[in-house]
Amino acid sequence: MPDAAVGAIAFVTLLTIMMGARGIRVARTTDDFMVAARQVPPALNAAAISGEYLSAASFLGIAGLVVAQGLGGLWYSVGYTAGYLVLLLLVAAPLRRFGAYTIPDFAAGRLGSAGLRQAATVLVLVIGWFYLLPQMKGAGITLQWVLGTPYWVGVVTLGVVVSCNIAMGGMKGITIVQCFQYWLKLCAIGIPALVLLFAAGHSRALAPDHSPEFTSATTVSLPQATDFTLRRPAAVTVSGLLDQRQYRGQRVVLCACRHSAGAGTRISFGTGAPVPVSLAMAPSSVSSWDSPFLTSGTNGAHPVAATYGVIIATFFGAIGLPHILVRFYTNPDGEAARRTTLIVVALLSAFYLFPAILAMLARLYAPALYLSSDSDDVVLALPSLLLPGLPGSILAALVAAGAFAAFLSTSSGLLVSVAGALSHDLLHGGVAAFRWCAVLAGAVGVAVALLIERFSLALLVGWAFAIAASSFCPLMVLGIWWRRLTRLGAAAGLVVGGGCCLTAILSTMLGAAGGGWGAVLLGQPAIWTVPLAFTVMVVVSLFTQRTVPGNVGQVMMRMHLPEALSRQAYRVP
Amino acid sequence: MTAQGPRRQVVVWRHDQVRVQHDVPGLGDLREDTKHGRLLGESYLRAQLGLSLMCLTLALLVAASYPVLAALVPAVRRASVAGVPVTLIVLGFAFYPVLLGIGWFYNRQARQLEARFTELVAPPDRSPGRSSDRSPGRSLDRSLDRPPDA
Repeated sequence: MPDAAVGAIAFVTLLTIMMGARGIRVARTTDDFMVAARQVPPALNAAAISGEYLSAASFLGIAGLVVAQGLGGLWYSVGYTAGYLVLLLLVAAPLRRFGAYTIPDFAAGRLGSAGLRQAATVLVLVIGWFYLLPQMKGAGITLQWVLGTPYWVGVVTLGVVVSCNIAMGGMKGITIVQCFQYWLKLCAIGIPALVLLFAAGHSRALAPDHSPEFTSATTVSLPQATDFTLRRPAAVTVSGLLDQRQYRGQRVVLCACRHSAGAGTRISFGTGAPVPVSLAMAPSSVSSWDSPFLTSGTNGAHPVAATYGVIIATFFGAIGLPHILVRFYTNPDGEAARRTTLIVVALLSAFYLFPAILAMLARLYAPALYLSSDSDDVVLALPSLLLPGLPGSILAALVAAGAFAAFLSTSSGLLVSVAGALSHDLLHGGVAAFRWCAVLAGAVGVAVALLIERFSLALLVGWAFAIAASSFCPLMVLGIWWRRLTRLGAAAGLVVGGGCCLTAILSTMLGAAGGGWGAVLLGQPAIWTVPLAFTVMVVVSLFTQRTVPGNVGQVMMRMHLPEALSRQAYRVP
Repeated sequence: MTAQGPRRQVVVWRHDQVRVQHDVPGLGDLREDTKHGRLLGESYLRAQLGLSLMCLTLALLVAASYPVLAALVPAVRRASVAGVPVTLIVLGFAFYPVLLGIGWFYNRQARQLEARFTELVAPPDRSPGRSSDRSPGRSLDRSLDRPPDA
């Protein structure tokens, strides 16, 4: 089974490198490198945007989160799609008409401030790296699952492949690669989901299991130390550390209470034994798996508020993602940007049907998967668990290839924008600087990714969205629609909103959040940092009206008028 | 009524009224940033913003109402249709067509707003020759049809 998966991953990686290498011949100028010379038609561009957007969190993270925590995890997939609708409604066409490469370019061009450009560049780096981490983690656990290599091997492999590819090819190669990778990802998650659904017997209703049992004798290996509870006593065979005692394949009757197992412990359950519930996923998995609320990152406190935090972060976060906005400049005009965005919403909707199906199947037929507190490999493990033999291996290989495509494409896009921000905005360099910055940014990503193995993929990506929603989203929305925005207001909003959000998330990551409202406000900070950022930007702008740029009227009209009209009115070449 | 016959209406066709009807601010006003041009631009911007905010409110209402509903009416989150939980149907499938529908509607309306505005400030039939008899500030500039540097 690993052979097929290894082959598939190698195939995807090689194909990506080769398609990227074609870009070397095409990419000649900085303009080519950065935005593919603005010659990409909407359907191709939409697939490329979706390919870049669908990351490890979408491919592995959502299904893992839903299996572990319940249906509330699906808010992430709804939010990731709705983020594009919000982007369409508020920024797509005006941003394209503004005609700049990156968010720092937009900030500097709209408000005429070099200092603001630097602040925005720093935020691009923060969000880009934050988003890069889950991709690296995904690569780590995928190779871990396929090959049994240590976590760092996958992280380093992805870092090297992506950095070198970007340094050589730039974005022209990447546009074609990203487009190809959307369709690869759709097939890699869609075909297994449909085949497994069919194989599992479509006549059986997809009812949630309130008291799951093992339907066959199952051995559960716990990679990390895990606390779990049993709802009924069960006779099991244990090897390893359990409840402070070392077992070597002895038969034990476990009481219906709390147990703690050490890392590497293996427990064999018989048919009909109750499935243990990991305390890392409590409380939502204990009673109400079908609850529509989210508890990730908040220790289960105030689920409704946490859900709204995720809704706000994901709905408004897509606007502020640096690697996504740069794609909009590859549209020929504003109207094409709108059409592209609507196609993106359709492509994302199609993709997100399948993680839900896979999570449902995993919950029903593979209860062992949600015992381990790290459930991010559910999608990888499910095919071979449900379909033994060759068909399962083929599907597993397909899934592994799709997962790797997800890491490759998203981290490519992120590295392009991080390296672009470093070389273009901080160092003012050309193509050579861009190449070195790509390698440097990849190396930093790898180094930090080695430290964050224990956080769920969907949670990490959700945090990157929260930072984007509380910094760049207000800047873009107010910059496009409100002529009284000033550079001081924008800078204050970026610093206060982004700073508060980042501080809250870092304190949650370091375990300082505790429980109750503190856990919600620090674990899902978008619920207060997004309104705060908007308020600060508006209030400070109102106090500094003298610094409104003089050309604001013309800039506003150029952003909103159709190209033909503003060409006539303002003689823009 | 019938005894008096149809009421006569007197139509006064004054020269300046005819002018006023045609005398909408045009591209020249936008370019030269006159008072009319600014008003015109602002009204167009407000129309686009209104459309965006309407669609955004609709999308947010649809999405944000489900958690409230589920929190207030626990029966909703326990309900299921043919064995499939309602939450799975709503979050896994039902939202996407709604989002797509809002996006499609927005694109159509935004395109129409742009077309209407283009027709208003630069009607295709308004030739430079015909507009030259009006005051230069608010007429369509002849130079538009030439290359910008000519």
